[in-house]
Amino acid sequence: MPASGSNSAVAVWTILRKECRSEWRTRYGLNAALLFALASLTAVSFAAGRLGDRSDVLAALLWIVLLFATLSSLSHAFVREVEGRTMLLLRLVASPTEIATGKLLFNVLFLAVVEVFAVPLFLVFTGAPPVRWGPFLAVLGLGTIALAASSTLIGAVIAQTRGRGALFAGVSLPVLLPVLAAAVSGTRQMWSAHPVAPSLRLLAAYAVALLAASLLLYDHLWED
Amino acid sequence: MSAAARVVVSGVSHRFGPRRGLEAVSFDVAAPGVLAVTGANGSGKSTLLRILAGLLRPTTGSTTLELAGKEVPRAARRRHVGLASPELAFYEELTARENLAFAATARGMANVHSAVNEALGRTGLAARAADLVAEFSSGMKQRLRLAFAVLHRPRILLLDEPGSHLDAGGREVVERLVQDACADGLVVLATNDPTESALARERIELSGRGLDHPA
Repeated sequence: MPASGSNSAVAVWTILRKECRSEWRTRYGLNAALLFALASLTAVSFAAGRLGDRSDVLAALLWIVLLFATLSSLSHAFVREVEGRTMLLLRLVASPTEIATGKLLFNVLFLAVVEVFAVPLFLVFTGAPPVRWGPFLAVLGLGTIALAASSTLIGAVIAQTRGRGALFAGVSLPVLLPVLAAAVSGTRQMWSAHPVAPSLRLLAAYAVALLAASLLLYDHLWED
Repeated sequence: MSAAARVVVSGVSHRFGPRRGLEAVSFDVAAPGVLAVTGANGSGKSTLLRILAGLLRPTTGSTTLELAGKEVPRAARRRHVGLASPELAFYEELTARENLAFAATARGMANVHSAVNEALGRTGLAARAADLVAEFSSGMKQRLRLAFAVLHRPRILLLDEPGSHLDAGGREVVERLVQDACADGLVVLATNDPTESALARERIELSGRGLDHPA
């Protein structure tokens, strides 16, 4: 009896709601992410002053802040389930693909919420030049999806391994580097009035490839 | 429950890397009935139940789960099987009701509210439904595992050490759940408790060596 599309959509939506409720009750990741963003931007602002004429530094700084503010939460989406021994509960109520899709959507939402607070802070603290909102939001949106897709995939793969913390660092570097490079490049081009289309294409292609690989892989995870 | 549930296990064994988790075992049971699986600690009782639930792929052999004469694919077993296991934990930041409602909704059940109320009532947890699981004792968590297992009225109930941490009232709950479920369904009990074993009409003992006995 294969799950129907509507059943799968209900399962994904239910897992997303559960993730939001758990995060709201525990503030496991949100407080840490916002604190990191605020602390790092304040420190940079005090140390380097306003960086309005350095679009290359600004682009790198924006994505470093977003990556490190959210990475520990994103990578722990599955680790928390394994360490809290709730993975069995999840596996008994939803398929691996439904679980991973729910987690992915939560990670996208989590990143978006952090960005809502962190990006305005970044623009104010660093004295960044005016942004071209269309290209900027396109780079931010695609970068967010690619970042969430890669960290969800890595988190799912390493969740049940021993030494998962150390493994995450090793596995995530080659997977996250293309996302980071394309997002930084696109943001820099946005500020220097160059076309951002090449970076957007790269981010979109990478996100699609990660999502496709994820869909192929998830149903074979956690079997033994 | 349907009377047509059947489980066929043929030469199933499992290894966790170099360690043998379950020696080869075969049996064929059909509803209505209760099968007790006994064996030493480490002989593979829990592993067998996880294989039956479709959570683990056996290293050798095969398992077939049939409902109304049709084989249920492994990936769909979780819809028809209820599992209560010591390894099952709940979200401590959610209440008992929220945990069960999450499970029922994710499974796509209709009438989530009444199903949750019924499961809580059957396991004696109705009065503590609004409490966070973090505040539960071991016995209450075990009752919640039982509520989770019967929540979707599964045709096959897999109970792994169902009486662990339970008081006399809790053990009566287990007895009632088993009697209700086996009226026209199938219950597989993994236990070494003689009282729980006595609920079963059929028994198998796993032949694994289990743990070494101290001299």
